[in-house]
Amino acid sequence: MISIKELSVKIGNFSLHNINLDISEGEYFVVVGPTAAGKTIILESIAGLQHFRKGEIWIGGKNVTSLPPEQRQIGYVPQDYALFPFLNVRDNITFGLRRLGNKKHENSERVESLAHILGIHHLLERDVRKLSGGEKQRVAIARALAISPKVLLLDEPMGSLDVRTAKYLRLELKRYHEELGITTIHVTHNLIEAEEMAGRMAILHMGQIEQVGRPDEVFFYPKSPFVADFIGTPNILDCDYCNDLGHGLVEAVCGGVPIILPHHDEPVRKLALLPRDVYVTTRTPPGPGINRFKGTVMEIVPFSSLMKLTIRVGEINLLAELPQDIFEEMDIKVGQEVHLILKLRSLRVY
Amino acid sequence: MIKKRPSQIQGERPFRVVTIGALALVVSFFAIILVALAAYTDTKTLFSILLSQEILFAIRLTLFTATVSTILAMIFAIPAAYAISHARFPGKDIIDTILDVPIVLSPVALGAALLVFFNTSLGSAIEGGLMRFVFELPGIVLAQFTVVIALAIRLLKSTFDGIDQRYEQVGRTLGYTKGQVFMRITLPLAKNGVIAAGILTWARAVGEFGATVTVAGATKMKTETLPVAIFLNLATAEVDKAVAVIFILVAVATGALVILRKVTGKRRFE
Repeated sequence: MISIKELSVKIGNFSLHNINLDISEGEYFVVVGPTAAGKTIILESIAGLQHFRKGEIWIGGKNVTSLPPEQRQIGYVPQDYALFPFLNVRDNITFGLRRLGNKKHENSERVESLAHILGIHHLLERDVRKLSGGEKQRVAIARALAISPKVLLLDEPMGSLDVRTAKYLRLELKRYHEELGITTIHVTHNLIEAEEMAGRMAILHMGQIEQVGRPDEVFFYPKSPFVADFIGTPNILDCDYCNDLGHGLVEAVCGGVPIILPHHDEPVRKLALLPRDVYVTTRTPPGPGINRFKGTVMEIVPFSSLMKLTIRVGEINLLAELPQDIFEEMDIKVGQEVHLILKLRSLRVY
Repeated sequence: MIKKRPSQIQGERPFRVVTIGALALVVSFFAIILVALAAYTDTKTLFSILLSQEILFAIRLTLFTATVSTILAMIFAIPAAYAISHARFPGKDIIDTILDVPIVLSPVALGAALLVFFNTSLGSAIEGGLMRFVFELPGIVLAQFTVVIALAIRLLKSTFDGIDQRYEQVGRTLGYTKGQVFMRITLPLAKNGVIAAGILTWARAVGEFGATVTVAGATKMKTETLPVAIFLNLATAEVDKAVAVIFILVAVATGALVILRKVTGKRRFE
């Protein structure tokens, strides 16, 4: 569907080196990487908004490298959405349709149908400057989709939203994608967002692709030290045996530690858990004791704004991460006993 | 305990006295000049002068030439300012600097330069074959245009600089060409800035004297714009007339600035 071949872009001191990507029809592809990795430049190159010295962009089997943006059939949602402030919501969505020379009622039907899918029907006559961040995002997506593009490009779509709205809209975005089946490229610096949304993802670092794959492939088989560092190397636990607990749950015992999981047809051989999904507390946590253990802090290593803790539980060592301020508040020392909670939903089985 | 207001905080009072004192002096300076002007004449004389043929002619000529030169200036300045603001081309910084020269250069020098140009073979050919400028009405428009075009470009450039290019990029992906995007997105976004630039350019053209008098001369009832009328009437010691014209110019300038404030005071797009 989309092929990026040997794309190289130079802007000032920054270079995008020899980017090669193939994205299939209907795929939800996420480009993730730290700030100034070159993510937006890739999107702009696909959209025809960025001049580049070398490389080709193919969309739907057609080489569009020399085509201007208006002929590429791209739906583009930039960071901060860029809704036209001199138009209301309806006119923003209709903006691209007007050029197509459709009849007025056809445009109106298209707007109504998109407003229904995106849940913004009640906003159609509103001033775009008075919308919330989440509403703006949905209007911007509707505007981009109105022209029936072949590809939807989303540049940091959750960048300016609060955590709660972003989480809700991630689910919504997934639903739109399933409903419309449009090939989507989503750019973000947020790893959790990438993992949650992506069918496949590319990790970009300093203008180079470090790894491409399904989120689980990238998370558990990082191909470069940067990727391992960026995602945080997961805890891999070898399981000794499994007990079926009924009620759709199994108990996997790894190094003497019994971990409860949703039922799987295949026996659980290995479990993986990212350090950020191991919760550490010095107080006994309230509630049922599922996947909660006591452990001893073996090692504390500062890492950027985080503290990495190695904690011995039964016969296994678990790596946990704590933000520096929380770590200091808890005043954790080597040799201290702490309580651990393993986030059930974050446990990966294979 | 009662908290101190900001002005009562130690050490801030002398600063406030100095800055607000300077402001009060400047306002008083202009107020005294205006009061002195008003005291010089009475309403009856003022109105009879304002309705005299000469002054009515000067008002009509000034409004007409300033409007034409502003329209011409805006026609050229809008695309030129956009190019300076958005386009990338070699020598852009040099051109940007050169465009500032007419703003700081004396208008008499600009007028003199135009006069010299019309003495060259190309200038003479234009004068002889196309249109007469020197000591004629088109000369007033040309002089005003020359003085105000750089100002218009500078004002419009700052407006275009303030427009996020993302809007235009989105417009392109929605199927519009660069020209269509400019007309349908950039100009609506720049509307307030364009109106403000137009008003300031027009006000500057109305008050233009140096270049006008050099190119078009100061001939009563022919090339007599309002500033030229002040000059001519002062030269012939008809101070009442000069005062009346000053009041007209003050009224025009105040009106333009009130409209400008209204336009720029409106909520800007983004």
